[in-house]
Order: sequence, then structure tokens, then C-alpha cells
Amino acid sequence: MDSNINKETLKHLMELARLEVGGDKEEKLLKDIKSILSYFEELQSLDTQNIEPMTGGTNLKNVFRGDEERENSFRGSGAELFPESQDGFLKIPAIFKEKNAQ
Amino acid sequence: MISLRDLTLKNFHEKLVKKEFLALEIAQAFFKYIKETDQKINAYVNLLEEDALKDAERVDLLIQKGEDLPPLAGVPLAIKDVILIKGHLATASSKMLENYRASYDSTVIKKLKEQNAVFLGKTNLDEFAMGSSTENSAFKTTKNPYDLERVPGGSSGGSAAAVAAHIAVASLGSDTGGSIRQPAGFCGIVGLKPTYGAVSRYGLMAMASSLDQIGPMTKTVEDASILFSAIAGGDKMDATSQNINYGEELLNPDFKKVKNLTVGLPEEFFAKGIDKTVSAGLDQVIKEIESLGLKIKKISLPHAKYALSCYYIIMPAEVSANLAKFDGLRYSPVNGVDRKNLDLSELYKQNRSVGFGEEVKRRAILGTFVLSSGYYDAYYNKAQKVRSLIKKDFDEAFKTVDVILSPVSPTPPFKIGEKTDDPLEMYLSDIFTIPINLAGVPAISIPVNNWNKISPLPLGFQLIGKHFREVDILGLGRYYEELK
Repeated sequence: MDSNINKETLKHLMELARLEVGGDKEEKLLKDIKSILSYFEELQSLDTQNIEPMTGGTNLKNVFRGDEERENSFRGSGAELFPESQDGFLKIPAIFKEKNAQ
Repeated sequence: MISLRDLTLKNFHEKLVKKEFLALEIAQAFFKYIKETDQKINAYVNLLEEDALKDAERVDLLIQKGEDLPPLAGVPLAIKDVILIKGHLATASSKMLENYRASYDSTVIKKLKEQNAVFLGKTNLDEFAMGSSTENSAFKTTKNPYDLERVPGGSSGGSAAAVAAHIAVASLGSDTGGSIRQPAGFCGIVGLKPTYGAVSRYGLMAMASSLDQIGPMTKTVEDASILFSAIAGGDKMDATSQNINYGEELLNPDFKKVKNLTVGLPEEFFAKGIDKTVSAGLDQVIKEIESLGLKIKKISLPHAKYALSCYYIIMPAEVSANLAKFDGLRYSPVNGVDRKNLDLSELYKQNRSVGFGEEVKRRAILGTFVLSSGYYDAYYNKAQKVRSLIKKDFDEAFKTVDVILSPVSPTPPFKIGEKTDDPLEMYLSDIFTIPINLAGVPAISIPVNNWNKISPLPLGFQLIGKHFREVDILGLGRYYEELK
């Protein structure tokens, strides 16, 4: 397994994760991640050919509630605790750029 | 007037019922003591004085009316700041949620409110529960009450320090890879991580959803049983939770049954690399448990050594998914980000770059990597298979033993700043606690009896039980602490 992670990979990952580290911190982050990934090499020596992956913390399956109509009592709750709200909606700054400035 | 330091959940209730004090006067005394002490310790990030005093007063009214009191009525508790209490700040010790007020009560809080418990405040943690020392908090560093130059452990360092410093009678923490047990060990208190699914995670800010559990952090094992009993139970708001009937033995263990438990010592956990003092502590514990009449035998957990790698693939993967919702818009604005002239994508990047600390970013990037196309099979899928192997080890071991004994941490509490340069070194603090979360079994960290005779710093050990057999580890723990 080639975990050849480099500056390009890091840039791609930061794009995917929607975050950045300051330019001077990038080198250390890359170094730390490389060292952590190389630690993972030990897993490659394990034979897991016929092993089922464990997909969660429990063996519970199909924990559904009945398909019944019910009131959504949560709508708007918590909005009054948000710094700015109106009629149960959260007020945030405009997020789309004006295409044609007026 | 009783000393606050002598209070336990058990004796608080007894004295309250006997009217030796009022709930209100105790709550007031705690806030006075917190203001005198917490500047040195930094256990709390937010105090809830107004509500706490109101709730304490309400309990006193119930007593006046001659009403029956639940076991936790009026009890002053501290709550880790990843557990939501409606209307109050819930920051996860992160700039990302600095201004976030919880819009609902977590189920554990709802249950404690039904018993009229009192919440003194929210405690400090490693940001978003990521860390083993509480040094990753965006706001402050909590100190170990036994040595202010050392860490209290993490991520539930504030909760551990609050109990150890007697500025709360008990607290709630959360544990994903050791975050209750390791700080409990470092601060000389008891910390229980329940079986995955024993306690509802509704209202716990999710870190790694297949590993997280909320648990009690207390002065005694008996207190841990009382608090666990109050918060445990299936919840329709958490589909991974289960209702288990623990029976009488949870609060009143039967010594005859406890004596018949067989205790296993995993050879992989007693190999070299453990600090001499920690070893000495374990040796003492083994002798003490033998003196109770229990059989001890050697067992093996052959895949335990892969647990760290397995965990540091699975956990960051789940973290990257769980933290994707934090955009600096939904829950709380991020201070210090100038929103003007930023389009949405840039705004997300700015908010997340300023709002998240270094460790959070490191894990989010790592998680993004192991889930990304081309690497998913080699890392994430592989780790899930290794997880099955680790769980199977425990299933096998538990065919011949009932309880497993191990160290909690390879070293005594380390100095503040000692491990912050090398993340991998910090991750290694959790080698004894991580396998337990991967397998989903319950485990408790208990202070070594009279540890101060063999160590200047607190020493703990770990008892691991079968799934939903908290009764076994709490029962053995209680008889162990009575030997003191």
C-alpha cells in the first residue's frame, strides 16, 4: 500500500475537508500525517482475507419505529438561542455574491 | 458543617434525607469553593450558578413537603462540555462552538433532571474530545490537582479534575478511546466507560459514533454504580442504545458471586514498556485481588497490538464525517472571521480553519484521506476487518475468564507540554484503553489502593468486563476498594 502522501495530496484533502492550515504549518502537518500513516503499515501484515468487517459498535439491526405520521415538535426550536433569528429561522449573512451589482 | 471534600453521592443523599444540610447551602458552598480553587485548576469552562441554585432550592422544598427523594436529588454534578444542557453554552472547548447554546437536553441530562440533580457547570476537555491531556482545549489548560505542572489526562480532563479537587461530587465524561478512564487514572478517581449502547448518546456531540459512550466519573466505585444506574437505558432517540435489566446486583453486589469470578491477565499488556511505578501498582492490585479469593489466569489478546492503528484509522474517518456539519453558520458564528466578500466555499474554509484547532484538523484530514477514493480499501475497510479480529480476541478470552485486569496508562501523569510536539507519542498514552472501545465492552478505571505509598502521583488500573456485564466490574471494584 503506497501511502505516498505529498503536498498535492494534502492540498486535495484540505479542499475536500473545507479547511486550511497556515502555510508555515503545512510542512509539519504533512510530516505528522506521514509518520502516522507509516505506523499503519503494520496492518498490512495481518491476514484478513475471510474476515467480515465490523461496521459499527453494535449488532443491533433494523431498529425502526413504526411508519406512523407524527407532529414534528422540533421545528424552530433553538432558533431563539441563535445570535440572530426570526420566526424560527436562523439569520445568517448573505452567502451568494451579487452577480450584477445594483 | 460537613467538609465538601468528604461528600460522595451515597453520603450526600443520606445526609440530605436526614436534614443535616440543605441542598441550597451545599450548592452555595460549592460555588464559593469553586471560585476560590478553580483559578488554579481550570476544570470548568462555564458555571451554571443561577439554575443550580434554583434547582437546589426546589429540592429543599420537596424535602419540606415530605416528598420521597430520588438518590441523586440535589447532588452537585459537573458535566463535560460535549453533553448538551438546554439553553446553556455547549462549546466542546472549541472556537467553532464558542457561542453555541444547546437547543435541547441530552437524554442523560433529562434523566438526571428527573431526579432533580444539580449541575454546577460544564467542564473543560480536549477540543471535540480529541486528545489525551486536555491540552487541546481552545480555551484553557486544566491542571492535575495532585501536581499543577502535570496534565489531568484527557479528553475528560476537566471532569476528572473537578471530582479530584472536590469542586463537584461527581461528573459525567465521555469515552471514545479512553477519555474517561485515562483521566480518571491520572487524577486518582473512578471512571466507567459503559458497554457501547448501555447509555444513550442523544445529546452527546458525536466524535466517533461507533465508539463513543458517556460515563460516570466519581470518587468511589459505589458512586459510579449509582450514577451509571441513573443514566443507563435504551432510548428511542439513539438507535444503538439498549435496555438492559441489570438487577439488584448493580447497586448491591453479591460477594459470593464476585468471589467466583475469574480474572484474566493479558500477557500482551504486561510486557515491557510500562513505567516501573505503574507495574508496581499492578503487582499490588493482583495480590489484593488474590487476597479476596479470586482466581487469576493468563490470557492472550493477540491482536491488541494492532488496536492503535485500527483506531486511528476508524476514529478519524468517523470524526471527519461527524465534524462536516460545522460550518460556522449552523450552530454558532466563529469569532474573528470577516465574512464580507467571501463566497460560500471560502466562508466554510475560513470558518473551519479558524474555528478548529490543530489536532482536530489533523484528524479531519487523516479521516478524509482514509475514506477517499483509492485508499478506502487499503485503510478504512482493512481497519474494520482488524476491528473484528480485536473483538473476537475479547470474545475468546471471555470464554475462560469473566473479567480482565490491565493497566490504564503506560505512564503516570506526564508534564504539561511534554507530549505536545509528537502526536504519535500522545496517541500511545491510550494503548490500554483503545482496544476496549473497538470491542464495545465495558471497562472501569479504579485508583490503586493507597497509591500514595508507592507513588507521588495517582495510579489507576483497569477492569474490563463482558458486554453488558457492568455488574461484574463494578462488583469486583467495590470489594476491591473496601480493602483500603
